[in-house]
Amino acid sequence: MALPLPPGLTPPEIAFLCEMELVTVIPRQRLEGLELLGGPLKPLNPPQRSNIPLWLALLLKRQRRANILPPPWLNTHSLTAILDHETEHADTFSPPPRLPSQPSDNTLPISPPFLPTSTADAAPDALPYHWLELGEMLLEAAADDFEEPDQVRKLLRGLREVRMAKLRSGVEVLDAAGGIKMNGVGGMEVGEGRSFITGVVDGLRKIGASREQQRKDRDAEEAENGYSGTAGDYDDDEMDMQ
Amino acid sequence: MYGETANKLVQNAKRTLALPHLPPYQSELIRSVIREVRDLDKDVASLLAPYSGSFNPASSPETACALLVNHLCMRRNKRCLLAYHKVRSDKLEEYCWNGVDVLEQQAQKANGNSAGEGGAAGAESSLSPEEEEYVRQYSDLLAAYKGQWTDIDLTGSLEPPKDLFIDVRVLKDAGEIQTEYGSITLTKNSQFYVRHGDVERLIQQGYLQRLS
Amino acid sequence: MDIDDLLAEVAVDSTPQESRDLQELTRAWVAERTAPEILNWPEELMERVLERIRRQIELVEDQTGNMDPKTNFKLIVIQTELERFKFLVRSFLRARLKKIDEHPLHIRAQHTASLDTMQSLLSPSELQYLTSHQALLSQHYSTSFLSQFPASLQRLDDTTGGISMVDKPDEDKAVFVRALRDIGTVFIEGTDRRLEVKRGDVWVVRWSAVRKWAVGSGTGDVELI
Repeated sequence: MALPLPPGLTPPEIAFLCEMELVTVIPRQRLEGLELLGGPLKPLNPPQRSNIPLWLALLLKRQRRANILPPPWLNTHSLTAILDHETEHADTFSPPPRLPSQPSDNTLPISPPFLPTSTADAAPDALPYHWLELGEMLLEAAADDFEEPDQVRKLLRGLREVRMAKLRSGVEVLDAAGGIKMNGVGGMEVGEGRSFITGVVDGLRKIGASREQQRKDRDAEEAENGYSGTAGDYDDDEMDMQ
Repeated sequence: MYGETANKLVQNAKRTLALPHLPPYQSELIRSVIREVRDLDKDVASLLAPYSGSFNPASSPETACALLVNHLCMRRNKRCLLAYHKVRSDKLEEYCWNGVDVLEQQAQKANGNSAGEGGAAGAESSLSPEEEEYVRQYSDLLAAYKGQWTDIDLTGSLEPPKDLFIDVRVLKDAGEIQTEYGSITLTKNSQFYVRHGDVERLIQQGYLQRLS
Repeated sequence: MDIDDLLAEVAVDSTPQESRDLQELTRAWVAERTAPEILNWPEELMERVLERIRRQIELVEDQTGNMDPKTNFKLIVIQTELERFKFLVRSFLRARLKKIDEHPLHIRAQHTASLDTMQSLLSPSELQYLTSHQALLSQHYSTSFLSQFPASLQRLDDTTGGISMVDKPDEDKAVFVRALRDIGTVFIEGTDRRLEVKRGDVWVVRWSAVRKWAVGSGTGDVELI
């Protein structure tokens, strides 16, 4: 088989994506500018801060060529506030970072891991998409760049538990139609929940398939007859929405 | 009972899915399923013969029913045979992707058996001659497709790259080593930051020491 | 066009083509790994990326063996990145090949239909692989048993008897998506469900309901995650 992996992303693949996130480093050695495949890298001049992809920051850090500035949301103060929010709101994840202004129609919209949500000037009050992976990788490779690494680690664990509980309890609202909003969910959380959540939704759909087919046939027939539903049908819709 | 032999094939295929190797090709079962299909087809022909091309199902429902059953059995047998062969060809393709030379293995197995157990039993290949031919041709196809993507090494690792480079200290002169992109000279007591894959063997052999 | 649009365009234009291509390639890879169907072959993107990879490999080959530590470290950075790109392209191609092997006849029909549009489904070499692989398999089935069957039963794309032999992926499979722009109301066919999908939203939804907006199969207003 050309690819012996199930659909979806494996945890190492999610970590690989996360390594494309931009982080801020303070170089300890000079590095000339480079023409990389993903775009030019500006020269690194100590002690000037620079935003570079995480994979490169980790490489420099391991070689003691740079220190990494943890993003503003990844400290005890911010994480405590976010954890409070997560605990108080049992049904939703804490809101994701604010999006940059809407791009015009003919340009490529930016999304994680390419939004600068983990640089030194990122928002301090929201968990970005790759929060867990990024936090764990930085703590592993650059614990000495944190003020209170153990506290941060503990808070990340706490956040993970609260949010996993939400992901699990969210299963109760799953149904055959799908259409579940999960704003604020993280990359690793999608990876962990994917096969279970899609499995439940797909399973329920297959159980209800014949009823749906009837409904589709009826809708098609109505559309053909130019018939747009009675008041009774409309009420049914409202009931289901609640 | 029609379809029973084919069912054995399907069960065999199902077991094969969970096996690391390919069990022997069931030529006997295959032959008898084919025979069954041909018999059923003859049956159909003789059922239809009296009507000389003007069979009307509504006027002779019992014949129609017999025909239907025969047809369904033939189709079922066909599906079972296809499934059996597909499971096996999938496995053969997987060997090709993983760089396992299954034909070489089969040859060794045959030799080993004949030497050890005095020949005769078990010396045969697990693959049918058709399967052996299929492996040869799929390998060629894969090689041709891969050849269009030499820069990215299509059969390379499917794990995202990690710790590509490591720090090593040279413990014994190891001379010049060839890497994917050129050569480096490893002299005693020098330190290098090198591609993990290029020096893995030298670390095992004690020429180099990995530094954390 | 108002001033915001102009500014946004200027901002994006200042992003180098290389960076935009990395983002597009990453998106295409994630989409191909998570979508139940095979997506359109991103021809121009792949041409640019492969050409850059080729040049970078040449550069590395030229400079390996240079023992100057400074050059050496630059090469390490370049090679590390190069391996990341090679992995992306490799995993992307193989995810596609897996789908091609799973539903060859369905995908061939889809590809043929796509030739009338601007976007073809498969690359020329994928089509060639599909065609040759199908020919090998047909030949294999034929010599193994099918040639001994009655002529009427020898086909591999039979649709009589209520069951089509041409298998296709489950288009209604649930997927995780993120909206890159507001797309308005999404209807889930056969149900009463209506979704208001806004920029930045993450939804679990049927593939068939969002396919026409998805990156790789539609307008690109929605990405798979």
